[in-house]
Amino acid sequence: MFDLFIAPLMDTYFQKALIGGSIVAVVAGVVGCLVVLRRMAFLGDALSHAMIAGVAGGYLVMKLFFGLEAHAPGMLLGSLIAAVATVALISFVSRISRVKEDTAIGIMYTGIFALGVVAVSIFRHYIHIDLMHFIMGDILGVADTDLWVSAFVAAIVLTVLIFFFRHFQLATFDPIMAASIGLPVLLLDYALTTCVSLVVVSAVSMVGVILVVGLLITPAATAYLLSDRLDRMMILAALFGVTSVIGGLYLCVWLDSAGGGAIMLFCTLQFLVVLTVAPKYGLLSRWVRLRNLIPQQVVEDVLTTILRHEKPTPRSVIARYVESGKGLDRVLKQMIEDDLLIQSGMDYALTGSGQKEANKVLRAHRLWETYLESIGTPEHDVHTTAHQLEHLHQGDTVEYLDEKLGSPTKDPHGKAIP
Amino acid sequence: MTMNSAFVIEVQHLTVSYNARPALLDVSVNIEKDQLVGVIGPNGAGKSTFIKAVLGFVKPDLGTVRIQGVPAQQAKGQVAYVPQRGAVDWDFPITVKEVALMGRYQQIPWYTSPSKSDWATAMEALEMVRMEEFADRQIGELSGGQQQRVFMARALAQGSDILLLDEPFAGVDAATERAILDVLERAKRSGKTLVVVHHDLATAAEYFDKLLLIKQRLYAYGDPAAVLREDLLSQVYEGRLRIFKEVIKKEGAHV
Repeated sequence: MFDLFIAPLMDTYFQKALIGGSIVAVVAGVVGCLVVLRRMAFLGDALSHAMIAGVAGGYLVMKLFFGLEAHAPGMLLGSLIAAVATVALISFVSRISRVKEDTAIGIMYTGIFALGVVAVSIFRHYIHIDLMHFIMGDILGVADTDLWVSAFVAAIVLTVLIFFFRHFQLATFDPIMAASIGLPVLLLDYALTTCVSLVVVSAVSMVGVILVVGLLITPAATAYLLSDRLDRMMILAALFGVTSVIGGLYLCVWLDSAGGGAIMLFCTLQFLVVLTVAPKYGLLSRWVRLRNLIPQQVVEDVLTTILRHEKPTPRSVIARYVESGKGLDRVLKQMIEDDLLIQSGMDYALTGSGQKEANKVLRAHRLWETYLESIGTPEHDVHTTAHQLEHLHQGDTVEYLDEKLGSPTKDPHGKAIP
Repeated sequence: MTMNSAFVIEVQHLTVSYNARPALLDVSVNIEKDQLVGVIGPNGAGKSTFIKAVLGFVKPDLGTVRIQGVPAQQAKGQVAYVPQRGAVDWDFPITVKEVALMGRYQQIPWYTSPSKSDWATAMEALEMVRMEEFADRQIGELSGGQQQRVFMARALAQGSDILLLDEPFAGVDAATERAILDVLERAKRSGKTLVVVHHDLATAAEYFDKLLLIKQRLYAYGDPAAVLREDLLSQVYEGRLRIFKEVIKKEGAHV
């Protein structure tokens, strides 16, 4: 136990990774909620890739003009500029040409990513950027400056989001109303994009370009399955972000694997577990709901069978006329709960409301028979077809039939139409 | 604010175009207080541009829109907007009560949280549309008519005298349509002016006090009987008039 859980905590690199990762995960989770709800996941991916050009540019400018090697704020600024430029290019291209936005995103971010890669390799004598580090991240090698940068970014972004929570909520939910009460919708869009860029920039050094979008959207999507309010969703997303970092880091130490990969793997597993067991939007609850769903047709068949039998009916008789497979007992139980049937001994009888429902279906059945007869359906088909059509009795259908047929009192077999 | 005008919405020579294609051409209309006004016209007739102009966020090429005497672009929030059902993300993590509270957002300064009285106003608005018992539900769990009423509540909580509704009757059944109309009529009786984009000509005459027929230009504004005329409709709807002959006949029978 001690070796597994406490020992890693003694190492400085692990502590730094834990602190840095958690800071980034909290803010990524919170911003990620808006990213998920606005369907901008792809844009987050684009921003993270575009950054490499900015990092290279920032590195180069700082080194050539100021002689500073690997100046972190310089690279941060460079990535921000690259991110904003990417967004501007994307919206420019999708606005002035017939190319749609997703395509524009794809073109621009791969283009700018390529520019970054080419720049890094051309200036490899000036720039000491490890492309692999950039792509995969290195959470176990977090430097103190990275920690400060991410703490600073997190403070800014969280402040903006908390103060302007309602603005972002309304602009995301109903931009037209937001504009109509005078909220600066466009400015809010830019603010959010800037927040996303900041978060992406501060997270890339830890989990890498490819995985950063996962840290942004997966905890948020996990929280989305569990909550019906935006503020709670944000809190949960932050929590899931932190648990992914903690779980992932231990996984990484135990398995001796890549840090960023382990975190995202844990994060994804977490999502899958929640997807399965979430009380309202999970797969299990959905499956249970579907299983408990009883087809209205079966219910109606049970009702008419008992009505035709004219006295409390044993289960065997019902089973003979109602095609319901093995689920008949469940149907009967549910119908008793819904106050349509009562069980007396081994037999089932209709309650008052059951009687009313049954008469409605029977009336539909006999009117449909009359109608089928009137349009010349062969006699041996009349009953079976009507048996299928009787379930169509919603709204005005039956009254329409009744009117059209001149309110008949007897069906073709001479039975009274209730 | 000048309130001496009898008209709450004054549109003068409104012309709006997108990329040299006109969406609205020289539309002038004055809408009186306490009316239930239906905006009708075929698809692509500029109905949604008209809405945006009244809400004050398209810049007209020419002409003016005044809301209670104030240019629409400065009259932010004086027109409450009820979106089309298809335009809302019903999976959004938000409860009925929070949607109603959005009507108060304009009044809440950015640095404070909604006060008790803001919540009370939101709940009152929900009571007005008889949705208070659903206050804590997520909006996707409601039926179509209930959803529409929640957004009506939001508009009422906003306290605006003018409500703008985009196709509130689209995709709801007849009973729900009645229920929504009932809410609209009660809002009208409490002194609101309602402008409703509507697509069903068959019910237009029955539901609205005034109709506004547009297709780029304004073809007619006035009592339903004066607007639903065969010559006007045939110009606006072109080849599809045959269906509307019945409408006109029915309308004739009403009057």
